[in-house]
Amino acid sequence: MQVMGIIFANDGAVGALTNQRTTAAIPFGGRYRQVDFHLSNMAAAGIRRVGIISRHNYQSLMYHIGSGEEWGMELEEGGLEFLTPFSMSTTDSYHGKLETLHSAMSFLTYGPEDEYVVMTGSSILCNIDLNDVVASHIASGRDITIVTKSGIANGKKQLDLALKLDEQGEIADIAVDYMAPEGYLATMDIFVLSKKYLQEKVQEFIARNLFHMDRDLVLGQWQKGQLSVNVYQFKGAVLYNESVEEYFRNSLALIDRNVRHDLFGYNHTVFTKVRDRVPTYYGEYCEVEDCIIADGCILEGEVENSVLFRNVTVCQGAEVENCVIMNDAVIGEGAELKYAILDKDVVVRPGAKLCGTPTTPIIIPRGEIV
Amino acid sequence: MYFQKKRCIAMLLAGGQGSRLKVLTEKTAKPAVPFGGKYRIIDFPLSNCVNSGIDTVGILTQYQPLELNEYIGNGQPWGLNKTHSCAQVLPPYERHDKKSGWYKGTANAIYQNIDFIERFDPDYVVILSGDHIYKMDYAAMVEYHEQNGASCTIAVRDVPLSEASRFGILNTNPDNSIYEFEEKPKKPKSTNASMGIYVFNWSVLREALISDEEDPNSSNDFGKNIIPNLLNAGHKMMAYNFDGYWKDVGTIDSLWEANMELLGKNPAFNIRGDERSKISARNNAFPSSYIDENAKTVNCFIAEGSEVYGIVRHSVISVGCTIGEGAVVEDSVVMPGVVIEPGAIVRHAILGENSKVCRNAVVGGAFGPKEKKQISVTSKGAVVEANTVLLPGEML
Repeated sequence: MQVMGIIFANDGAVGALTNQRTTAAIPFGGRYRQVDFHLSNMAAAGIRRVGIISRHNYQSLMYHIGSGEEWGMELEEGGLEFLTPFSMSTTDSYHGKLETLHSAMSFLTYGPEDEYVVMTGSSILCNIDLNDVVASHIASGRDITIVTKSGIANGKKQLDLALKLDEQGEIADIAVDYMAPEGYLATMDIFVLSKKYLQEKVQEFIARNLFHMDRDLVLGQWQKGQLSVNVYQFKGAVLYNESVEEYFRNSLALIDRNVRHDLFGYNHTVFTKVRDRVPTYYGEYCEVEDCIIADGCILEGEVENSVLFRNVTVCQGAEVENCVIMNDAVIGEGAELKYAILDKDVVVRPGAKLCGTPTTPIIIPRGEIV
Repeated sequence: MYFQKKRCIAMLLAGGQGSRLKVLTEKTAKPAVPFGGKYRIIDFPLSNCVNSGIDTVGILTQYQPLELNEYIGNGQPWGLNKTHSCAQVLPPYERHDKKSGWYKGTANAIYQNIDFIERFDPDYVVILSGDHIYKMDYAAMVEYHEQNGASCTIAVRDVPLSEASRFGILNTNPDNSIYEFEEKPKKPKSTNASMGIYVFNWSVLREALISDEEDPNSSNDFGKNIIPNLLNAGHKMMAYNFDGYWKDVGTIDSLWEANMELLGKNPAFNIRGDERSKISARNNAFPSSYIDENAKTVNCFIAEGSEVYGIVRHSVISVGCTIGEGAVVEDSVVMPGVVIEPGAIVRHAILGENSKVCRNAVVGGAFGPKEKKQISVTSKGAVVEANTVLLPGEML
């Protein structure tokens, strides 16, 4: 039984973080990009043919992934393939996942030995055993398996796709783009289908001007009684990075030991592009508490409850609190940062002060000098 | 197969045991001994080669090669896995004429691999060892060698007279040409110590290796045989002065010192440096490190994948280590994968890979500024049981 993977790299917008990159390429957790989690999930399940569907802004993603060797996908046959959009009469504007799948049909068709397809978005992060999900799908004999996380629905967050189960564990309700109240399950944007079924549906739906995976294929077909659904409930940590606020909160959530261990090692290792840096140096007068710190930093100041990516310099007398600081930032002497996200290559001048709030952190775009 | 002609290739002698590193090299060849949090000793000569534009490196292995071979792999971390580059591991092998077997000495190791070298038809061969921590541009040395029209050039550095008798000492004329070589002289005439880095014209070295092999009394060693023989035969040999950081890490004390010399705001050895002299290493996919709210990290290196809940001062913590709550680590080198449980105290120690210091155990001790520091060492995978003591200078 062979399985292929599809990753949707442009998964909505996450404020200024996606101005110049795809959601898949958003840096996360000190040394990763979000796509590392999805690629590593697939690699660990032995999936060796993965298509990355990316519509725009994919330069940094391509640079990051390269030949895919970090994930063992630099193969002569199969391996990783970037599926960038074709300009077709039907693709003037983007309509939905089914449409992008349609333009990637040749990739889907190629590799006749693949029987199943695992599809995932790129803004929801987890460390999941996809073999178990595929096994559950096959055992169920259903048309589609939808992976969900229980307990997140609380009416406070709009869910792309929410499910409600009855006492027998069968689906009682499906809702799309819904502020679901308690009792609904939030899906994780991971689906398993047989390749044959997916190919058929994509052809059929595009021919009828139906483009949406969630709305048309899942909800529409289920309502008509034409879709049998297997629900796979995942119990590990799941981080929904669908807005700046969530991204910020989830970045700092890594400081929690359980979340961190769940995400980085419960099932398998998370691989990423190697950027070989020296170990981080902690200076004579630094005070570092409750932090996630990548290699290559020089820390002389105070850093608390923050995530520091590679090669960040925090000068003496600087104070960094509740921040996410991406690669190569320099925080000058006496600068004060609170509730801020610094994109790559930012320079904070000595004495500068930046203060956001937990719900609206300040974002400093890439390369800025403040 | 097609082999591109190379102007210069390197042969890296990595077969030695490094017995003075004691328990640290019981199961590992010296070049594979961890250094500086995420490196291994061999990363230094290998990275130097790549940074000097040498893209073909033969690595002679013999003692406990498993880990070293694994580490070198296809040479990818150093960019030596391209179409016309290689990091080729060369273990001893059997030959039809029985002129083979274990490498008898440094020169014999190269002799047995003449075929490998010939494939690249090199003008120059650089001979290196996997014993030292340093950054050096070998290309500049080859340039110097070529400009002087020498047959052999030896890198030298100035050492204190009191230490000179530990080294091979080169006595030179004012133009830096060598007129005498003394291996570990009792009364050294100069302080020009050989760094064990040689550039040879391949044609000269090839002949020297073949005639050395024919001499049954030879110990087949570069320092003892090849260099003196070439000098006696009247070859032009030059000394190449190098005054950058260079440290032989062949003993427990020097390995500890070299690690400590990475620390500080202006470290004796700045491993960070610029991109052109970057030291590369094979990386494991560890997540970023975590520093707990009760942790204290002062003047130390902490590599990725480590979780620190305790106190770390003036130490090097390698990848994938855990320092438990209330534990204290001072003036120590903690190698990859070490676990130090809560309440343990570690001072002036080298903790070998994956070793473990259990709850409330004490390793090593403190020393006054003028006292000789006695370093405690744990071997790979060793366990210091809870509430026990490993005394200063003791090994486990």
